[in-house]
Order: sequence, then structure tokens, then C-alpha cells
Amino acid sequence: MSDRFSKASRGKFVAGAVAVAAAAKYSSINVIAAPTKELVVGINVPLTGPYSDQGADQLRAYRLAIEEINAHGGVMGMMLKESLGDDETKAPTAVANAERMIDRDGAVMITGGSSTGTAVAVSAKCQQKNTIFMATLTHGDETTDSGCHKVTFRRYNNAHMSAQAMAKTLLTKYGTGTWFHITADYSWGWSVRDNIRAVVEPKGAKTAKVVLLPLGTTDFSSALSQAQAAKPDVLVITEFGKDMVNCLNQAAQFGLTKSCKILVPLADEYMAKGTGDNFAGVVTTAPYYYKHYYDKNPLSKKFIDAFRAKYGVPPSNGAECAYMDIYLWKGAVERAGSPSAAGVVSKLEGFKFTATKEPNEYWRTWDHQGINSCMVLEGVPISERGGDVFAYAKVLEIHPGDAISIPESTSKCKLDATV
Amino acid sequence: MEAVAIQLFDGTIRGLIYVAIALSLTIIFGMLRLVNFAHGAFFAVGAYVALLLAPKIGYYASIPAALIVLAILALLLDRIVLRLFYAKDPTSQILVTFGIALVIQESLRLIFGGTTQTTQMPASLMQSIPLGFISYPAIRLFVAVSIIVLVGVVWWILVGTNYGLIVRAGIRDRTMVALLGGNVTVASRVVLVVGAGIAGLVGALSSPIFGVDPNVGFSFLVPAFVVVVIGGLGSFWGAVIAGIFIGILQGLTTLVMPAASDVVIYLAMALILLVRPQGLMGESELIRQA
Repeated sequence: MSDRFSKASRGKFVAGAVAVAAAAKYSSINVIAAPTKELVVGINVPLTGPYSDQGADQLRAYRLAIEEINAHGGVMGMMLKESLGDDETKAPTAVANAERMIDRDGAVMITGGSSTGTAVAVSAKCQQKNTIFMATLTHGDETTDSGCHKVTFRRYNNAHMSAQAMAKTLLTKYGTGTWFHITADYSWGWSVRDNIRAVVEPKGAKTAKVVLLPLGTTDFSSALSQAQAAKPDVLVITEFGKDMVNCLNQAAQFGLTKSCKILVPLADEYMAKGTGDNFAGVVTTAPYYYKHYYDKNPLSKKFIDAFRAKYGVPPSNGAECAYMDIYLWKGAVERAGSPSAAGVVSKLEGFKFTATKEPNEYWRTWDHQGINSCMVLEGVPISERGGDVFAYAKVLEIHPGDAISIPESTSKCKLDATV
Repeated sequence: MEAVAIQLFDGTIRGLIYVAIALSLTIIFGMLRLVNFAHGAFFAVGAYVALLLAPKIGYYASIPAALIVLAILALLLDRIVLRLFYAKDPTSQILVTFGIALVIQESLRLIFGGTTQTTQMPASLMQSIPLGFISYPAIRLFVAVSIIVLVGVVWWILVGTNYGLIVRAGIRDRTMVALLGGNVTVASRVVLVVGAGIAGLVGALSSPIFGVDPNVGFSFLVPAFVVVVIGGLGSFWGAVIAGIFIGILQGLTTLVMPAASDVVIYLAMALILLVRPQGLMGESELIRQA
């Protein structure tokens, strides 16, 4: 190999390696401009990356809601149009998408987020742009706690609610032995880890180790081999989306699903499908489970039937939240008589409603957290899912939101004075 | 100390996967001067072949099937697109192979959806094997042994056959080989086909571990590029040593600072290139033996 070729080739390869890394940023963008008498809604979800299953399912639900609303005359006679962005589960991309949707496409509301990292960043941008943000699948406390904003509303349960809801089960089913955590290394993972530890450690549980891994980790063997050596009683997998699927499936290959109890603090239908039988016996939480609410709430039944008819699959819990967020925002716009942020905020704060779950949900005025129930679920094997791979769990407990939410006295939320 | 031993072992096993991908990348690059960004997509196609065929013909039989499917795919890509770009500048090559990768990935997404799926594997590989200091998944041991065999076979072809001689000579000087009557065009095509086949084979092999989704190959492509650069371009054993080094480095980093386990490989690449710009074994030992 000549020197000349070697140098050129090396440069070419190094450039190639850099370009491959940069290529991870490519995104798909689909924009529909807003003509007169239309209201543009910015849908900002991950369509690529580790949370893409959740993003894709939220998008289905948003589109179903928009289609239904437009079929019934729109919002105050104005048709809804989407401006779509793939946030790739990356905060800078999510913020750039939101900015484009607001500045270029005239979006009057931004919604989406399958990650607390992206949601908190978009929330700050929306506050700056004076635009409503209906945060959907974001579970870290920060979104309506230390990172809260006047324009942001989050109906999805948060990590504090999940940990409090599971408290009894954690102590009765998992005990107070040695706990090993594998945790996604960003605000959501930290939030869940801290909340779980705050519940179990005062009762005597010991934390052997917390291994923080970057979002998008494919191979968990380093962490799992450490967990195996630590011989914990409980392995807590605070990972989400494809990361959780890979982690739990690999944990099973390491024999950890047999040697210790597995806890996955938050899961959805797609994660349970991807892990199959490895999810059997795993305790988790979810704000919504289509199988439970189908025959308990008429709106739920209507929504699930429409979703199945259109897409052939049931909605995940993130999809339910996405669907309702569009309707809840629509109601606020109509009550305010305007899509202006100030009007919508005033009509959402303290608003009580019955949606797809139990009656009398409401938005708290001082942090904009939606108060509704949190379910504690236990995974069942494929053989017990009745031919529906998404029917992944049995319900252990359902806790009313008021009893498990962050109290105002300990909240770090300081809402902005104005919209 | 036991924790370090475990990470050394686990890192070596993971590194072998990097080795297999980097090896095929570096041979393709050496022979064709082609920076193949589509290699991650080839890996993904191999994983889907195993996902589809394992329930019908079994996991073991799906592995060579993936190699064959990828070899055919590479041959088609060569005839339709790639042959037009071998003599072009690097930017054109990067753009066209990246374009191929996107087309393949999005086609997989369109056909199979984006959900992560898992390849069925035999019950014998679903257990973990006690090794004294660790109980290790049988599937990972199987993948590791398969890759060691694969590396041995590729090495034997390169140094023990006349065809390998042409490839090694072609890596050094294509023009000279052509002047001496060697069929460089055919040899190049075979290298592309075999390289793509290896990527598909490794994708199929490892699909029960890492799951199957349209982007699964991408997470291995970046470390594989790093391995090629660290090992030295065109260096067979450089890729082997660098692959295992990167695997171990990631494992040990996870032990002390897990959050840095992704970043550390780029830091290692920068440091090694500062000291040895040609990589660890930049002057190919293949060439020295020629």
C-alpha cells in the first residue's frame, strides 16, 4: 500500500466514520402548510431511534383524533392540519422541529414527546414561543416538576406516581433484599431510579449498584454480567422502548429472569410484545391499558374500536394519551373561543373531565400535571394472551391519581408568571 | 478482580462481533477502495433473513441462507449501481452507499414495520453455561465460536489460495495485478459479494441477541468503522486486535463509568491516531507476506 494511498484512504475512512455518526441525525420531515381557516398542530414524535415504536403509535392516535375532529367540522369551524417532525428522541432535534412548526408552519399547539429529555427541552421552547405544549409520553417528574412551564400540560403519569403506586407491591412481591439497577442515563431514568429508591430503601432494601447506560444501547452484556456477579434479589430495568426489549431479552439469556425478580417501572404494549414470554411475571406500571378499559368506559371502547378498525392493532398507552391530548386541547380552545395560549391555559388549569379512564380527572393549576389513575400490572406469558400479543398483563392494582402525585409542598415547580 | 475478569471475557466476546464486521469492511475497502456505508443495512437484511427463516428451517440453517441472500443482493447492487462508482471520488461513493443503506432500511421498515422482533433460536442456546467465574449465555458463546471459525476461514482463503493471492496483491496495487494478467474486476466482485455475505451472516448469527429492526446494523457500523481505523486500513490482524480491544475497552468502561461506554471508543481512536496515524497495524501483514 503506497503512502499516498494510505493517507488518502485513512482520511477517507476517518471521514466515513464521522459521516456515519453524523448520519444518525437524519430525519424525516413531513410538513403540511397552514392555509387560512386551518389550525396547525405540531406533532413532534420519534419515528426513528429507540422509542420509534412508541412514536409511531402516538402518531396513529393523533391522526385518528384529527380525522375524527375534521369529520365533525373541525375546531370552531377550522380544520386541523398536522405539521410532523421526527424528534429522533434527541432534544436538539425536537427543539428544532418545534421551532420550525411554530415559526414556519404557524402551529398553535405542539404535542408529542416519547422522552422526558425531549419534552423538557420542547417545553422551554414553547414557553419562549408562547405556544401550548401538550406533552404526551413523558414519564420523568421533571416535565411538570423542576422543568414545568405555564404553557405545558402533561396528562401521562410521572415516575413519582409509578413508584408510589407500586410501593405496596414492591415490598410484598419484591421484598427488601439487594437491588441492582440498569438505568437509562437521562432525566427520565434518573427520575425513576430516585423514586424507586426513595420507596424501597427506607424499608431496608439495599442498592447493590446503579449502572447508567446511554440511550440507544444495543448490547447490555456488560451491565448484565455485573448484575449476575452481584447476585441481586431484584433487577430493576429502567429502560424504555427498544432499549428495554433488548435489555430484558438479554437478561433472560444471562439467566437473570430465573435467578432474580425483574422490575420494569414503565412499559407499554410494544415493549411487552417485543419481550414475549420474558415479560411474564414482570411487574410494571402504565397509565392506561386498553384491555382493562375497553368494557369499563364507553369512550375507551369507541376509541379502541376506531383505532383497531383503522390500524388493525389496539392502542398503546402512549397512543391513548396522544388521542386524548388532541381532544382536551380542542375543548379548551372552544371554551376559550380562541386558540391563543393564554386562553387555552386559563381553560385547562383546574379543568375537570371524564375521558377514557375513571371519572373526574383534572389538571392541577400549580404544575399542570394531569391527575388520573396509575395501574400496577403484572406481565403474562404469550400463551395467556388469548391470541393477542398486545394483551400483555393482568391488573394488580389501580391507584387514584390524587393519592400518589407529588404534593405541592415538595414540588419544585415554579410556573412562569405569564404565558 | 472477578468483575474485571468478567468484563475482559464479555468484552472479548462482544469485540468478536466488531471484528467480523470490520474485517469485511476493511477487505472491501482495500480491494475496491469503496467506503461501504451500506454494510450496516446488509447486517440488518441478514438479521431479517434469520427472523423469517428460523421458524421454517431452523436458526442454524438460516445463517448460511443469510450469507447467500446477501451475496446475491451485493451482486445485484454491483451490477446495477456500485460498478458505476468504483472509480468515482469518495464523496460520490459515500453518498451512493448511504443512499443504498437508506433504501434498504426504509424498505425493511415498510415491509416489516419498525418494531423490534426476536429470532427464534434452539432451546439448547437459550440457557446460560456456567464457566466458573460467570454463567454466560450459550447463544453468545455460539456466536463467538462461529466468528472465530469465520475469521480462520477468511484468513486461510487470503493466505492459502491463489484467489487470496490476487486479492492481497490487488489491495497493494490493482494496476500491477491487472498488467500481470490477474482478473481484478472479478476478484473485486467476489470480495464485495463475500464481504456483504459476511455482514449478513453476522446479522443472522447475532439476531437472537440484539433483536431485529431496520436500524439494527447501524449500531454496529459505527464501532466497526472505528475498529478499521484503529486497526489500520487493509490490515487483517489489525481489525482482529482492534475489534477485541474496543470490545474490552467498552466493557471495562461500563464497570467504572458506564455512561462513557459509547464515547470511549472515539477517544481511543483519537489517541491511537495521534500516536500511530497509520493505525495499530497500518502496514498490512497480508502485504508483507505476499
